[in-house]
Amino acid sequence: MESAYGPPLQSSNQQLSGSLVPASNDEVRELIYRSCRYLDLQDFDAYIALCASDFRYKITLYSPELRKEMIWLNHDRNGLASLLAAVPRHLVRLGSLQRNVTAYTIERDETNKSADVLSAFSVFNIDNEGRPSVFAVGHYYDTVSLSNDQPLLVSRNARLASRDLGIGSHIPI
Amino acid sequence: MSSRSAQSWEKTPSLPDGHYVGGTVYNDQEIFTDERKHIFDKVWHFVCHESEVAEIFDFRTTERADVPLIVTRGEDGRIRTFINVCSHRGARVVMGSGGNARTHTCFYHHWTYDTKGSCVSMPRPEAYAGSGVCKENMGLREVKTQIKWGFVFVNLDDDCPSLDDFLDGALNIFDEVLPKVELEVFHYHRAEIDANWKAYQETIVDLYHEFMHVILRDTQMPAASMDDREMHTYANGHVTIAGLKADYDKYEGWTGRSDASCFPGLDPDDARFAPLFPAQTFITRGTVMRVDTVQPITAHKCLIESRGLGIKGESVDDRMMRIDHHNEYWGPFGRNVTEDAFAAEGCEVSFGKGAALRGIIARDEGGKGQCDSGLRGFWTEWSRRMGRPFSHPINS
Repeated sequence: MESAYGPPLQSSNQQLSGSLVPASNDEVRELIYRSCRYLDLQDFDAYIALCASDFRYKITLYSPELRKEMIWLNHDRNGLASLLAAVPRHLVRLGSLQRNVTAYTIERDETNKSADVLSAFSVFNIDNEGRPSVFAVGHYYDTVSLSNDQPLLVSRNARLASRDLGIGSHIPI
Repeated sequence: MSSRSAQSWEKTPSLPDGHYVGGTVYNDQEIFTDERKHIFDKVWHFVCHESEVAEIFDFRTTERADVPLIVTRGEDGRIRTFINVCSHRGARVVMGSGGNARTHTCFYHHWTYDTKGSCVSMPRPEAYAGSGVCKENMGLREVKTQIKWGFVFVNLDDDCPSLDDFLDGALNIFDEVLPKVELEVFHYHRAEIDANWKAYQETIVDLYHEFMHVILRDTQMPAASMDDREMHTYANGHVTIAGLKADYDKYEGWTGRSDASCFPGLDPDDARFAPLFPAQTFITRGTVMRVDTVQPITAHKCLIESRGLGIKGESVDDRMMRIDHHNEYWGPFGRNVTEDAFAAEGCEVSFGKGAALRGIIARDEGGKGQCDSGLRGFWTEWSRRMGRPFSHPINS
């Protein structure tokens, strides 16, 4: 079914003689971009549909104060789906978040039909009066499965470079 | 029932003394300046947990009341605190947030200090001959430092009462927990928000605002009788709240917390709060602990620091469980803390420029349920220290 925000992710994968043609790098990039677009639009069902059944989502960062790694969010697919489904019940920050993302590198593992993707993100908060401010900056470390008829996110580590997120957010990065 | 005229809106409420807060406490510059002098320069401040400076020569930098501080563990194992300002030309000595160093050298002219605050070297000292300037009397300014159950507190006032006198037993609601277990900080974040510092701290003490949080409506308010919860207000403005219960699995997607994973002395559903005056809060929720501080930046901006603590030496699985439980409620992506910060900023919009004239703190449930007695205790201590009644802080 076509969403209000455009057609679902299409794969050019075609079954040729019973075997799948792995997704192209363009399709992998489109997966990354769509994941951000769906979060921006708070189309959470569409976002979760991009995630494999064994998906793991984390927000991590390094604390120079503690000199330790930290985990600020950690969910499997079901946990993240529950978290996102509950967002409308919460008192969330005003305005909207907008993610600007650039996929830097795609390292393909043709044997395992997967790809590790490094992307940079900047997340802006646009308040109700239209004023922009930077909410967060960092990198996505994604693993993408290429073994299905369309690429799927197997894991996402949203690795923060910025650490002061103001009042925070109910919606992940 | 009707809307209110300007006269009705502006007139003094017909409430008992001390049951409303004058709006200027949140926006007046003179009050803000006085708070620095009469409150923040005088009280004990939680600055870090000793696990943050666990090893000899470990250090952490922070600030209280706009004063930059360095907390460090000396070769003798003792934790000391110094103002992080060079005795020479006033530059900040230590730039990093944390680390391990036997000495600290000011970047500007290379005066060097050890972990006892002594100035141990200065380049070409002979030029100071006869001036009285020598490394022997140019140490760092030490700040009073005391430790309670691993929590490091400092006081900028050399003539302050002891930490125990200041605490007045308010942390004793954790005495089944804290003396029995060695804690370790696993989460730290700081956030500047657009709100007066008191507006954020009030969200901790104001139990009536549970209605604002979905998770508290789901897990906490139905979990136990309002009569089981007890709020105790101390003469010096601290508050303790015990008897709060939470059924965590009542929030969709969450699971319960097991006995086995709890801190000693706590039940899985057991939530205890100790908001200490003026703006530091200790909270346990069965399996995990949070400690917050709030510091004024301007009358309209404050800095929140928040820590999550687990048990030192615990298994990787237990630590991960505590991190997950912490993050359910707390942290920048938690379901609770973001809403408290939202509330504080929401009040700033109205109080910041004077559209809101007062806040009502008149709920009386005898210290149970969602009583405002804790808020009144906070404000009573604020008035005592400031020499201003909080209901009429300017006119009086």
